[in-house]
Amino acid sequence: MSNSHGDTIPLHPSSQSDIDEIENLINASVQSGPATVLPARPPSPPRASIPVSPSPFIQSKIPPPPPQSASSNQKVPSVAAAPPPPPPSVGNSSSIAASGFGPAPNTLTEPVWDTVKRDLSRIVSNLKLVVFPNPYREDPGKALRDWDLWGPFFFIVFLGLTLSWSASVKKSEVFAVAFALLAAGAVILTLNVLLLGGHIIFFQSLSLLGYCLFPLDIGALICMLKDNVIVKMVVVGVTLAWSSWAAYPFMSSAVNPRRKALALYPVFLMYVSVGFLIIAIN
Amino acid sequence: MDLSQPVEENYANPKTCFFHVLFKASALAFYILSTLFADSFVIIFVFTVVLAALDFWVVKNVSGRILVGLRWWNEINEEGESIWRFECLDQESLARINQKDSWLFWWTLYLNAVVWGIFGIFSMVRLEVDYLLVVGVCFSLAIANIIGFTKCRKDARSKIQAFASRTIASSFSSTLHSAFSLV
Repeated sequence: MSNSHGDTIPLHPSSQSDIDEIENLINASVQSGPATVLPARPPSPPRASIPVSPSPFIQSKIPPPPPQSASSNQKVPSVAAAPPPPPPSVGNSSSIAASGFGPAPNTLTEPVWDTVKRDLSRIVSNLKLVVFPNPYREDPGKALRDWDLWGPFFFIVFLGLTLSWSASVKKSEVFAVAFALLAAGAVILTLNVLLLGGHIIFFQSLSLLGYCLFPLDIGALICMLKDNVIVKMVVVGVTLAWSSWAAYPFMSSAVNPRRKALALYPVFLMYVSVGFLIIAIN
Repeated sequence: MDLSQPVEENYANPKTCFFHVLFKASALAFYILSTLFADSFVIIFVFTVVLAALDFWVVKNVSGRILVGLRWWNEINEEGESIWRFECLDQESLARINQKDSWLFWWTLYLNAVVWGIFGIFSMVRLEVDYLLVVGVCFSLAIANIIGFTKCRKDARSKIQAFASRTIASSFSSTLHSAFSLV
């Protein structure tokens, strides 16, 4: 039915007859339409050991630029009548697809506990990536790709609570000051990097600075338990160095090398001031 | 959680609705009652903020999916750019969503933000910076969820429209095809 006849003008080899075109359009639309095996979203490319999960803590304090989200949404098929797609062979990723929109009652009722477990495991993995030596530190932008703000939230509150507990007077003020200092400090440090022309994502950097508080949390806990000034100074010194070491690669890779010190110095200053706060509390 | 119940009368997901409201209400209640009893500020702060954070998580991950079929999150792609992703159920599932559920969802979301905003104004007027901090955190969490879900809903509507126009186009071409095949 589609061959050109002898008595017509021979078509260009790449052109199709009308029927062919319409057939191809129909086939294309049928394939891209609501097929029953269409996955809810394309599985993200497998990454080494970072669980991909879609529920970061605070996301849209700053509204995202509309064109970006509009263009990216075209790639995400919204039709989700399909059963949940099988988990990819890497095993530990695309929980988005697995716990996303399958047929509504089945996948939405059960995975609340799954979501909790997934978020908890993401906090642990982010912590390990940031604070402990691991091979991903060479590529900092990729390491903290799945940022979340739950970990930083816990650490800041814990630090505030520890400092407040150690204080004998003015407990409320200590807590409020510690919390406000750390939260505002993280925001300002991120803005500093952005204004220096660095390439960093706002929430990723907030997340990073929060995770780097983990050593200082440990230091504050030890200082709370042991009240000796010398011990405190040693502990704070060690944990301060650890925090700075943890934050260094991410911050320094975000700005161009001539401005590295300008980006790193305020971070160090903030951690030093927290360290002094820990030592000075009695 | 059975969507085949009659949708006019009952909430289709009473447990989810309950939790959706529970954390918001308890955060507000704790804040109000504790300022009356004038407890330690630290306790007030931690409890209120923890409850507000739990509420944020519940709304974003659980009740958003179950009550209105919307979900939003942020990803960082290979080039290191952050992308906001919005996802919604397909049209027939969206049409089956209980009206009461979604009414409750949206109204409590907005009301929560408004009430925290009012508390913020009170704190500013009274120059209580400590309490302003608490209110600020809770308010920004509420606003974050509102913005996320509103964008998600708009995105869902535009996707449905696009899908509808594509369906019309493909059905049009299929009628053409059948017309041609009869010839």
